[in-house]
Formats: sequence, C-alpha cells, structure tokens
Amino acid sequence: MDGDSINSPDRNGISKIRDLIRRQRQESDGGCDESSELDFVYDDADNYTNEISELYSYTEVPEFRKNLAAYDTVMERWGIPLQWQRLSPEVRKSVILRLLNHFELSSKALRAEAARAILYVAQGCWSEVQSEQEQQQWTRYNVTLLLKNGIFQAVVDLLCLEIESGPMAVRKPAVSLADSAELRVIFSILYTIVETIRTKSDDDTEEFEEQRKSFKAEIAQPVRDELLAVKLLNMVIKFCGGSAPHFPIKKVLLLLWKVVLFSLGGTCELRELKTQYRELAGLAPMKEDTLEVSRNMRAASPPASATDLLDAQNERRNIRPLRRSLMKQTSLDESAALDLEMGDQMEEEMKEIEERRAMEESGELPQPPSPRPLTPVPAKNKGLPWTPKVRQKDLDAFLENSRMKFVGFPIQGDRDTLAGLPAPIHEGVKVLKQHIYVSLSEWQMTREEELWRCPLSMQESDTESTAHGVEALYAAMLPNLPQYIIALLKILLAAAPTSKSKSESINIMADVLPEEMPMTVVQSMKLGIDVARHKEIIVKSISAIILLLLKHTKINHVYQFEFISQHLVFANCIPLVLKFFNQNITAYITAKNTIALADFPSCVLGEPPELTPESLELGEPQVYCWRNLFACINLLRILNKLTKWKHSRIMMLVVFKSAPILKRSLRVKQSLLQLYILKLLKMQTKYLGRQWRKANMKTMSAIYQKVRHRLTDDWAYGNDLDARPWDFQAEECALRAAVDRFNSRRYGEPSKILPDFEPVDHCITSVLGRPVHLTNTFREYYEVWLEQEVFKNPVNWDEVLSCPGYF
Amino acid sequence: MTMSEVKVIVRRNRPGTKGAEFCKWPEEPFEEMDSTLAVQQWIQQTIRRDPSNITAILTPPETQDEEVWKYEHLRQFCMELNGLAVKLQSECFPETCNQMTATEQWIFLCAAHKSPKECPAIDYTRHTLDGAACLLNSNKYFPSRVSIRESSLGKLGSVCRRVYRIFSHAYFHHKTLFDDFEASSHLCRRFTSFVMKYNLMSRDNLIVPNMEDGATDAPPAVTETASTPTTTTTTTKVTPVTGNTTESEA
Repeated sequence: MDGDSINSPDRNGISKIRDLIRRQRQESDGGCDESSELDFVYDDADNYTNEISELYSYTEVPEFRKNLAAYDTVMERWGIPLQWQRLSPEVRKSVILRLLNHFELSSKALRAEAARAILYVAQGCWSEVQSEQEQQQWTRYNVTLLLKNGIFQAVVDLLCLEIESGPMAVRKPAVSLADSAELRVIFSILYTIVETIRTKSDDDTEEFEEQRKSFKAEIAQPVRDELLAVKLLNMVIKFCGGSAPHFPIKKVLLLLWKVVLFSLGGTCELRELKTQYRELAGLAPMKEDTLEVSRNMRAASPPASATDLLDAQNERRNIRPLRRSLMKQTSLDESAALDLEMGDQMEEEMKEIEERRAMEESGELPQPPSPRPLTPVPAKNKGLPWTPKVRQKDLDAFLENSRMKFVGFPIQGDRDTLAGLPAPIHEGVKVLKQHIYVSLSEWQMTREEELWRCPLSMQESDTESTAHGVEALYAAMLPNLPQYIIALLKILLAAAPTSKSKSESINIMADVLPEEMPMTVVQSMKLGIDVARHKEIIVKSISAIILLLLKHTKINHVYQFEFISQHLVFANCIPLVLKFFNQNITAYITAKNTIALADFPSCVLGEPPELTPESLELGEPQVYCWRNLFACINLLRILNKLTKWKHSRIMMLVVFKSAPILKRSLRVKQSLLQLYILKLLKMQTKYLGRQWRKANMKTMSAIYQKVRHRLTDDWAYGNDLDARPWDFQAEECALRAAVDRFNSRRYGEPSKILPDFEPVDHCITSVLGRPVHLTNTFREYYEVWLEQEVFKNPVNWDEVLSCPGYF
Repeated sequence: MTMSEVKVIVRRNRPGTKGAEFCKWPEEPFEEMDSTLAVQQWIQQTIRRDPSNITAILTPPETQDEEVWKYEHLRQFCMELNGLAVKLQSECFPETCNQMTATEQWIFLCAAHKSPKECPAIDYTRHTLDGAACLLNSNKYFPSRVSIRESSLGKLGSVCRRVYRIFSHAYFHHKTLFDDFEASSHLCRRFTSFVMKYNLMSRDNLIVPNMEDGATDAPPAVTETASTPTTTTTTTKVTPVTGNTTESEA
C-alpha cells in the first residue's frame, strides 16, 4: 500500500503532496493507477516453483542430503555410476524398477532407503544440476519416467502401509519432525509427481499431454476400493482425532488439495462444466464469468473508512474543527471501536489533509479542474460491469404485487396476463423478462422435485448422475462427510493467525518443529518464520479444498452443495472465517514469511547458505504474499457461497457483526477481494440500519458500482425487517429435509425409499426358502395348531375348482 | 463326432471330456479365429504345440496390438501359475515357510491387503494370484480385450513383479517341485523371456538362475546381496534348505 511510502520520513513535503493528489485523482476516477493496486492474478494455484517449495518446511532442509545419501548408497551397492544424467535410459529404468521391488520388502529400513532414493530422483537429481531451471527440467523428465513405471501406485501402497504402522506404538510427550520421516518422504514423492504433471507449461509435448490425461484418469480411480482423496481425508480425521499426531498434516492437506484440483479440475474446467450442464438442462448460456469480469475491474481506493471520513470532512469543510468532526463521525459508525484501533493511520491522513487544504487555500496547490468529488470519468468499458439478473421468483412477486394493487386479486401461476395493469407495469414486466436468469441450482431443485414426485415414471438419466469425477468423490465422502468438514475446520481454526497457541486443541506443528529447539537467535528467527509460513500454507490449502468442493458440487448437483455447506454452517464456518478476518488483514496479506535462501531448490543448489539475520531477508521484495491473498479470497468466496440467498445465514453475518470486519478488509486494494467483500456487505445492508448506510455511503456506492444488480431488489433502502421474520431453524430444517431426501433417493438403498413399489417375489422356491420367524409359543403348540386348524377343517378341493366365475 | 468333423469343429472341452481328449482339436490359423478371444486362443494353441519353443510363443502375429499381446500373455501366465500353486500346496506350509522369501535377505510384503503385510509364502502365492486374476478381469481397469487403456498399462508391471516372486520362492525353497513343473511347462523360462522382451521388470530382479536365453550378451548381474560372499558359480547344487544366495549368472 502506498500509505507506507507516505509515512517514510525522508520524503519532503512536495512529494507527499504529489502522492496525495495522485490518490485524490484515483479516488475521483473511480480507479487508480497500476502501481498502487495489487498486481495479483487469482488462479487455481501459485506458480510451480512456489508450490513445490512450499511443500518443504525450512526445518526439513537437512533432510535433502539424506535423500542424496540414500541414492548414492543404493547405486554404489549395485555398482552403477552415480551420475543420473549420464545413465542410459535403460539403466535408469532398471534402477527405478529395482527400487520399486524394494518398496514391497518387509524390512522397514530398506523400504525407507528406496523411498528416499526415489524422492531424490523425483527432485530432479539436484546434486548434478547447475540452475533452478535445469532442476525443473530434470524433475519433469524423471517424474514422467517414474509415472510410466508405476511408481505412483507403488508409493500409494506404501502410504497405506505407513498409515497403519506408524511409530505411535510408544506415545511420546512431544511429537517432532523425526516421527514423520517416512511419511514425509512418501508425501513428498506423491506431491512432486502430482504437481509436476498437473502444471501446464508451454513446452509440453504431446506425449506429456497424453500422460497428464491418463494420470488424471488414474488418480480418479479408487485404489483398493478407496479414492486417494478419501484416503487423505480419512488421514485428516485420524489426525484430528488425536490417534495419529505424527501425520505431516501440511503435506497431507497440500496433496489433498492438488489431488482434488487435478482430478476434478480448476477454474477452467469448472467453467466448461457449467456451460455443459446448462446446455444439458436446456438453459441459456452463462452471461459472464466472475473471474474474467473482476480481472478488468479496478480496486476501490482509498480504504473505505478513510474515504468516508474525507467525504464527511468535505461536507463540513471549515465549519468546525476537523478533529471533532472525526470524533462525531466515528461515533456514528458502528465500527467505532475498530476504527479507533487504526487511529494512528488516520491521524496521519488527517494531518496530510489539513496540510493540503492549507496549501490549497494559499493557492500553492494546482487545483483539480472541478470541485471534488469528480464525476467518474468513464473507463474503457463504460457502464456497469455486470448484466443485471432477475429470478423467476422475483418476477412472480412483482406481478403478484402489481395485481394486488391494481386489480385486487392474484392470479396464481400466470406470468403473462397483464390485463388491468397500467403501462409502466407492462414496461417493467418486459424489462424483468428480458433479464430473467434461471440458475442451474434452481433447475436442479425443480428437477429433483419432479423426480421425487414421480419415482416410477421419471428416471434420472445416466449423464445426470454419473457424469463426472465429483460424483464418485461425493458418493465416497457421503458416509463421513460431517467428520471431514469438522476436521478441516478444526485445523483451519488452529492455523488461523488469530487463534492462541494455548487454546489449540490439536497440534499442527508436528511437522515443523525439530527435535531440538533452536539455540541461536538466527535459528529461532528462522523457526518463527517457518512456523508462520507453515500455518499460512495450511490455511491456503484448506481454503482451496473447501472452495473446490463447494464449487464442483454446486455445478454437479445443488443438493450435494447444500449438504456440504450446511455441515460447514453447523460446524461454525461463518464465525470462523469472520474471526480470521478480524485481524490486521493488510498486514496478513503483506506478511513476508519466506526465506528465499532456504526454499527448495535454492537451498540445495550450490553451497549450503550461511544463515544470518540479513540473509533471512534476502529475496525479491514483494508487495503482497500470494498465498495469503489467495487464501483470503478463497475464504471470502466460501462465505459468499454459504450465505447467498440464505436469509438465516445472512442474519448470522449481522449477528456476528461482520460489517466492520469486512469493511476494514476493503483496505486491501485488490478488485476480486473487494468484490467478494462488497457482495457480503450488500446482502446484509438492509439489516444494518439507516445510520450505518449514512455513514458508509462510499461503500454503498462501491457496491452499486461493482456488484451485480438484481432488478426489484431494494438492498440499499429496504426496511422490511419486520416483514420477514426470520426463523433460522425452520429454514435450515426445510433445506435439510430436501437434502436428505435427495441423498436417500440417489445414494440410499432403493428398497427403503419406495417400500410400496418393490417388485413382488413370485418364485415358489425363493418364497418358501425365505426364513420364517416363528414364535416360541407357536413352536410349542405347533401340533395342536395342526390338529385344530388343518386336520379338523376338511377342505373340499373340488369345490374350489367348481367355483363359479373363477375361471 | 463324425458330424462335427465334417461340418463344424467345436473347440470346446465339453463336460465329461476325457483327459486325453482335452483340447485335442485341429489348429487354426490366426486369421480365421474370429472371436474376441482370438489372441488368447492363439497363445494357447502355440503353447500346446510346443511349450518349450518360447520364441514362437512370444512372437505376436503380424498387426497384433502390442499392449493386448502383453495383457493376454500375462493372463495366460497367471492361469498356468495356478498349476504351480496347486503343487506348492502339498509342500509349502505356513508353518515351514512363514514368510515370502526367495533369497533369505528379502522378505516380501503381500500387496493384496488394504495395507500390505507379511504373509506366509503359500498365502502370498494364493493372494497374489487371486489379486492378479481380479485385476486382469476387472471391468474397471480392463474393460476390453481388444484395446487396453493407457492408464491401466502400468498395472501389468506390478503384476509381473509380484507374480515372479512365486517362481523365485519355489526355486529357492522347493527346488525339486520347481524343476518338475518347469520341465513340463517351461513357464519360468517363458516368463523371464517375456518380462525381458517387454522390459516389464529389471533384469537384476530376475533372480532365478539360468532362465535367460539372452543372458549371454548381458553384463553379469550385480549381486544385490552384497553381504553374502558365498555366491557360487555352480548353481545346480542348490538345495531347497540352504539355497539362499544364488544370483543369476552369466
């Protein structure tokens, strides 16, 4: 943020003013220049180098040498030259196959050695390369080779083995890095393979593309009747349950994220799927893509609260002392307490404003051409960024209201008759109809209702139910879904920067903390950075996993989505995310918890670096931390997904006082992040009261400008609080019932759903062969019964035959 | 009988067929086999003709898809290996061979379980063959016998690797039985040639000696058991009890 540059003491007054003017312009332009806006592009994942280096914590650096040593030992024992690059392809293959054979040995030491050697190969045989680029090339080459020879499957088998036979026979008081050595090697291999294959590069050959495709198919296949993703989720549960505290949870989550991302697909695939599903459902194509539109959007600036203050101050200019107007304003604001925290920054700004005004008055300052605020100069793409949408429901409500008003009675289910309505209403209906947008979810809900009502005559087509990998994943997750969600959120809570280490119910630090605590200052600084980085990476991967699951299930079937989101809500996801944002989010986004020198592969290329307090700081200066910004956006998107159109959950946002927290987060100048915050603010504006709206007009106009409009939605002025009494229970229960019905229809036992429509068994043998339960009394008196009921009652069988009208 | 000879040859072992009459039907050229199982039929026919002529058995007909060829051969191996397993049952007991070993250094884990574990040799044999049969017949991985899915190809290598250990166990621990079986079926020799030809296993893992026809042109295999200097050049004297360290020799 440019606030920092203003604060630097060595600037002289003039440049300060220039900054200020620039900012003013930006504000009045409704945008700002590129230098101050965060140059962040949201994507499914960070670039390959970062994603790989985040796999390893800095305390793991000494272990890279162990991999090399294992490789050397194995090769020496076999009498093969050590130089991997000089080996012929046949010998390389033979080495891999021999190592593969070792994976199935019963001796743990030999297995571990083979795994380390394979990891070294997967890491690109770094002791032989000169540059990072070369290392990446070799990794790509070697990973292809490993995959071709079935290493992935074998390592998954190894994982199964290690999960079962952990070192937890003896419970130790403190778990450290050493306890997960084997598992970490396994995870590093798997992750390296998945990430390398997943990452697209410009020089991908056709063969590589082929391999990616077949690997994608393989990874979505269950191994021993269990999907890899589900196996990893089960590990997460086990870890949270405390029965396996040695699991390297960061690596588990990273791998889980990448497996889900790779097998189900990211943004691109999601868009294609949505288009395809909408087409199948016979719906109009999507209007625009959120990520695309927001890419061209500009971030609102400056930070909203300061803006509001400026506004207020402009109105009252020269009327009363500045400071007092500030106090007054904040006292109106619900977020007073929070804003006071930021008091220092504001004071700075106030000072500058005063200075500037003084200069303006004395004519020193070049005056902007017209009084502030300027009318927004239209940007390249003129007008609102989004086409407005209307739901069918809204149109119906509009028609009904108008009819009640002008005709006096409603016409149920009629959407066309306009008799007796005045011309403006005709016009209104026309406009509404133009903008009607039926979402996939609405279509699926209607369809589900039809399927439920006519279980026999209507059948779900195959394309509907088994089309995509997410279906298999959901079906496999269903039995334990609540536990998975709770476990993920628990870890998220433990990793959130706001949570106190004392209150942590689970220890997520087992895979960073070394066996011996650091002795020197530099070492402990390094460990501090490492721990913070570790937490950030965990937050990043969990947020990405949850978002991916939500997005995929929402397209596949809305009730799958609702099931997951309901469990998220029940597990207190909403307050958790809000709590996460209730920190200095700007600081979180600009945090630099990276030691460039200790990142893989720089840490193993060339001489081992000497760590000094200075070298910890080395590396490219960065304006923001990609992973943290990514995680924040993910969390906001999750929150949006959970609360959209859910009255009861929006009320949770209000009850948990999200408005000031969200408003504060608007300070981050990134359009996508701001968009999702504004969306969250928009849906609760109605309930925040007039005072809030009055005090936050800037935010209100930002919402107007940036968030999609819903025609007939009076989000900004509506005061119909009493009109919609909210009943959290009832709303969630109705949803729950619908979801349960869906789950039991699609995944339950068919006989339980429609007991009346089960086919009747006609076959004599099978009917007679069925075990019949007889009561003890009956058994005891069986003979009496036989005597009385059968033998004593003569049946004239001829009569049956001669029964008139029977044939 | 006469009818079928004149008109149609039914290549099928009907219930009640005598052992001597088993599979006694005239050979058929590959081009005329028109069922979906032609490749299997062809392989079995060549084996029946002369089990020791490994080159002939492993030479695919022209235009034969190589992946299907490998798959069908592996199926055949697993089927015939059951013969060895049956023989082993009379000699290899969980009490005597309580671990899957070939040379004593390595104990192998049985991969047929949810998480791999140590099984007695005979159980390993049964589990592995069952597992291989399940996999090779699985609709999911091998839905077609006309073309093999790219993603399933990797499975063949792991089946070979696991199945081979049955040979090596039999060789090192039940030598007479192995020799009997090998004399009539030439299965191990064929298997060795097969995995070498298609590069499905590393040469150094093929530890049953004197099986490679083409071994002469290969460098002597490096012994993986570096701790055992007892490696002898005469591999014929190995007894099942002590035979622990014979590596393949040039």
